[in-house]
Amino acid sequence: MSNYHEEENLGKAYDSKLMGRLLSYAKPYWKIIALCIVLLIFIAGVELARPYFIQVAIDEHINVYDRPLYVYDEPVAEGGTEYNDRYFYTEKPDELYDSMAQLVRIEGEVYLLQEFLGNVDVPGTFESGNGDYLVFEDRQIPANRLDDEGIQAFRAEDINSLWRIGWIFLGLIISAFIMNYIQVYALNYASNKIIYNIRQQLFSHVEYMSLSFFDKNPVGRLVTRITNDTETLHQMYTEVLVSFFKDIFILIGVVIVMLTMSFRLALLTFLVLPVLLLSSYLFRLKVRDAYRQVRLKLARINSSLSENFTGMKTIQTFKREAQQFNKFNKTNEELLAANKREVFIFAIYRPSMEIIRSLGFAIIIWYGGGQVVQGNIQFGILFAFINYIKQFFQPINNLTEKYNVLQSSMASSERIFKLLDTHSSIQDTEDPKPLKSFKGEIEFKNVWFAYNDDEWVLKDVSFKISPGESIAFVGATGAGKSSIINLMARFYDIQEGEILIDGVNIKDLSITDLRENIGIVLQDVFMFAGDIKGNISLDNPNISREKIKEIAKYVNLHRFIEKLPNGYDEPVMERGSTLSSGQKQLLAFARALAFNPAVLVLDEATSNIDTETEELVQDAMQKIIKGKTTIAIAHRLSTIQSCDKIIVLHKGRIREMGNHNQLLSEKGLYYNLYELQYKDIR
Amino acid sequence: MLANFKTLKYFFIEHKWAYILGVVWLIFVDVLQLLLPEILRTFTDDLQANLIGRAEIFRYGIYMLIIGFLLAFFRFLWRIYIIGTSKKLEFELRNKLFSHLLKLSTNYFNKSKTGDLMAHATNDINAVRMALGPGIVMVVDAVFITVIATFMMFFTTDVRLTLLALFPLPFLAFASGRFGKTINLRFRKVQESFSSLTETVQENLSGIRVVKTFVQEEKEVEKFAAKNQNVFNKQMHLVKIFGVFQPLIMAISSLSYLIVIVYGGTLVINRDISLGDFIAFNSYLALLIWPMMAAGWVVNILQRGSASMARINTILDVEPEIVDREDAVTIEKLRGDIHFDNTSFKFPDTDEYALKNFNLNIPAGSTIGVIGRTGSGKSTVASLLLHLFEAQEGEIRIDGIPIEKIKIESLRNHIGYVDQDSFLFSTTIADNIAFGVDEASQEEVERVAKIAQVHENILDFPEGYKTFVGERGVTLSGGQKQRISIARALIKDPQILILDDSLSAVDTDTEEKILGHLKKEMESKTSILIAHRISTIKDCDKIVVLDAGEILEEGTHEELLKNKNLYFELYEKQLLEEEITKED
Repeated sequence: MSNYHEEENLGKAYDSKLMGRLLSYAKPYWKIIALCIVLLIFIAGVELARPYFIQVAIDEHINVYDRPLYVYDEPVAEGGTEYNDRYFYTEKPDELYDSMAQLVRIEGEVYLLQEFLGNVDVPGTFESGNGDYLVFEDRQIPANRLDDEGIQAFRAEDINSLWRIGWIFLGLIISAFIMNYIQVYALNYASNKIIYNIRQQLFSHVEYMSLSFFDKNPVGRLVTRITNDTETLHQMYTEVLVSFFKDIFILIGVVIVMLTMSFRLALLTFLVLPVLLLSSYLFRLKVRDAYRQVRLKLARINSSLSENFTGMKTIQTFKREAQQFNKFNKTNEELLAANKREVFIFAIYRPSMEIIRSLGFAIIIWYGGGQVVQGNIQFGILFAFINYIKQFFQPINNLTEKYNVLQSSMASSERIFKLLDTHSSIQDTEDPKPLKSFKGEIEFKNVWFAYNDDEWVLKDVSFKISPGESIAFVGATGAGKSSIINLMARFYDIQEGEILIDGVNIKDLSITDLRENIGIVLQDVFMFAGDIKGNISLDNPNISREKIKEIAKYVNLHRFIEKLPNGYDEPVMERGSTLSSGQKQLLAFARALAFNPAVLVLDEATSNIDTETEELVQDAMQKIIKGKTTIAIAHRLSTIQSCDKIIVLHKGRIREMGNHNQLLSEKGLYYNLYELQYKDIR
Repeated sequence: MLANFKTLKYFFIEHKWAYILGVVWLIFVDVLQLLLPEILRTFTDDLQANLIGRAEIFRYGIYMLIIGFLLAFFRFLWRIYIIGTSKKLEFELRNKLFSHLLKLSTNYFNKSKTGDLMAHATNDINAVRMALGPGIVMVVDAVFITVIATFMMFFTTDVRLTLLALFPLPFLAFASGRFGKTINLRFRKVQESFSSLTETVQENLSGIRVVKTFVQEEKEVEKFAAKNQNVFNKQMHLVKIFGVFQPLIMAISSLSYLIVIVYGGTLVINRDISLGDFIAFNSYLALLIWPMMAAGWVVNILQRGSASMARINTILDVEPEIVDREDAVTIEKLRGDIHFDNTSFKFPDTDEYALKNFNLNIPAGSTIGVIGRTGSGKSTVASLLLHLFEAQEGEIRIDGIPIEKIKIESLRNHIGYVDQDSFLFSTTIADNIAFGVDEASQEEVERVAKIAQVHENILDFPEGYKTFVGERGVTLSGGQKQRISIARALIKDPQILILDDSLSAVDTDTEEKILGHLKKEMESKTSILIAHRISTIKDCDKIVVLDAGEILEEGTHEELLKNKNLYFELYEKQLLEEEITKED
């Protein structure tokens, strides 16, 4: 449920500090990212090339009725067109041409006009008498009406040029395709690497946190940090960061191309920009607010759902279904209202872009159309402008959409960094003393300990365990027995006093050394997904299969494993139901022994075990206690009767100490505890 | 595929006009979009023929503006009509699902994971909404634009050019469908690797004590690295094909433009088509690219929506196990006589009796204690009395009426039940106490809180009765929760009160005070105290000792002690325990 609450805290969309820290993860891959950006410049260029090619095709090769032809009597160069024994060139090979001519198109017919007029804004009429003429308002000029063959002769070169454009365009398409692919792949490679690294860092960080950290942070929340929050960052890197560059390049590119094609038309077209920027700005504020509202209400819905599902029995026994439904309905209605508002805002925003765009079209037609008529700009440019305006709006829409991704990634990164900045309360000293040939002497000297401030769990506890000794802690629930283990392995640090191992304060030892020498059998036998042998050796390659088997035999576990269909390779499911709780207990013994520690700490399980297994557990425990320095936390007093020393803890203090018989004869707390067990119910 | 959406038929009928009009506006938008190339065509040709003056140019600009405004207007309308309605659909579906779940039996919630239910109520509903909002829009848009644009190209421009230019587009649709499938497959692999990673983290952190005890941190980090690497590999595997998709679409659509430039240009030169045709054709092509790209996507969205709808339907089809019988009656005034007559009960999907041949007569106004070890069937008595389950054999009568013949609401209204878990809602403490009643005065809330001995604690909280429970407020101890739950049951002023092991976390002194107050409060009413602690029940009029679902012994505290049976043993043991804990 915690996750749903967190959703409510959507911070700002951009925080330069967070962004800086996020980008620092990209640093090792800056070459790849730089490559992507370079490729994107090219790709954006190709996207801008299409309207340009169309413009060139139209103005240079299709719509050429304002182009001069240079006329010669003799063929002076390659590529000319022969017509009626005269030679026409589009590009003059030299200045010695006889005259100029041009093609004109009037009402679907094409004429070869024997004079160059340039842009013909008033159509002439064709008159055929003695000689053919095109008659304009004030004059008549000799002209020939061209038949299909004639046209093809004059235009063959233009068609060739179109093919040339086609080939160049094809080349660009193919190279853009390849570069685009390289770009997408490289970018994803880099961003996945980055996420891999962040995840790895995060997991290692959490893994080395002290247990008190895990007491405070629910597992579910930590899992969300390591998996989902990093996934959001992945989105930021792939969807926002680099495509941002592309959008910018397209915008800049469009502006540049338009300005070069026609400076004045471009400037006039840019008149829509202030309107565009203003409306995007205004709407962005609205959109952000609407989006936030939707997220907030959705988070409410989620936590309400989750709460109702967990509390369903309470709701049903109190017969409050109708009331709960009404409450839910109200939250749901709020979400609907927020959703409708978002829909409304988008319904205005997107279409308003449409209006601004058409305003751009209108400006182009009004001014550009007039310029075309006057022959100041060519028609192809007009069409190119219309295309570029369309392309101009795409990145702007993209940029507003990425805003949401940016916002949630900022929130995620803030949570991730907060976790990374939390440091383990238990750390090695700078220069830990090496633990040479650990003997197994343990001493608690006036130890005071509390999990939470001032709620003392252990009060002034002192005892000493000599190597080879077996010692047991007994006491009622909450007496502080399990805390002794936690302290010995330095899962928590004590507030006062000293814990010495072979005379060295455990704070001066490296944690690894310490824990490797103390084997602990925990109450709650946690089973990892995998197989049986892996659960014994914890997949440590140094522990051979034979060794595992040998240990399993020693702790009476082998007979159970043998019965499993796959023996030691039997798969174990999460929280494993493959083994009974008694068998799990045996497995825990095996696990501890597999690592051959100098000191063994047994925290006996309180759970119910069937009698047959119980005997085996007892037997195994007796065997283990005899062979090693052992510290046992016992709930069944029968187990520990043979221990060298029994320490009775009560409310955090040591009350009695001695062996079984001594303590019984004292008729104190131990005696009472013993009675309690003895009077076990049937 | 569509059959799954039958559940929503009523909604479509109810909102048919919103959908129909929405589609109409959408078609208007498409028609207007298709008008643009036509305007460009005539504009170009007029311009070419020099048939155009300032006035005409101005008119064409105005056309553009008008079309822009109309486009915006109709786009606004379809968004409001279709997308807005789909949000309404999401709302209704969520309400429908929730109200249905409220009706299902307690047993259903024992069987299903909260996480799964959450997924249905969020992800699945969202997928359905996507299919029936944007999904519909894309289908209509894509089909309409494709058909009309192709038609216009064929009949107004040139058949050969159309065929040639559109030649790459089916490949586009094919590629998008084909790639879509592979991408989906690989995407699922990514998700699998991701959930495997999540499981690993979940497991590792749950077993962190073992990891730390055996100093396995480094190896666990390595294990994690392998999973992490797997996610990376699967991601890259996806990118390999996903990365082709977008560039390929760009390339194929560019190919169409290339054909138009070369071949269309040649046609203009040869006077087969006009320059205006060429321009219009380019514009039509621009309109066609999008539907081709969307084709694969639409199919995907619809499929996902359908699959999600199917999952939701499975829940909606679950029948509540316990419903009012037709002849069930409402009881206005309840005396509180309870009679278990040879009742036997097994939980669903189990073979063992949770309660066997259970006979018990509880006269109105008496207090009954039920004691026994874990799993002895104590709580089952309460569950049956609340009619959360139905006994397979025997009969339970309240005031002489078989429990099945009493309306569930009426029955539960008369029973105040304090659960073992004492679940509290994340709202204020006052609201939690007043949960079972429509309205309660502050005095009433405080009165029951005082009976439950929690008033003083509440006053110590930062905002007293207005303090929030849970993450947004205070974390309550088990005993505080139990006492608030007791107050919550009392405020209903029930004729029957059941405390199901709900004093276990309360210390014995406080327990005594609560029981003393309860005695007064419940003087003429029936109480059933279920406990494993003798101290809770020793003053009851009658005590029933349960063992493995059967009554082992019954009687008053003194009588049972004399029996020297299980009750006596429990008593002895608890006495000793008490003695031990009393020591300092």
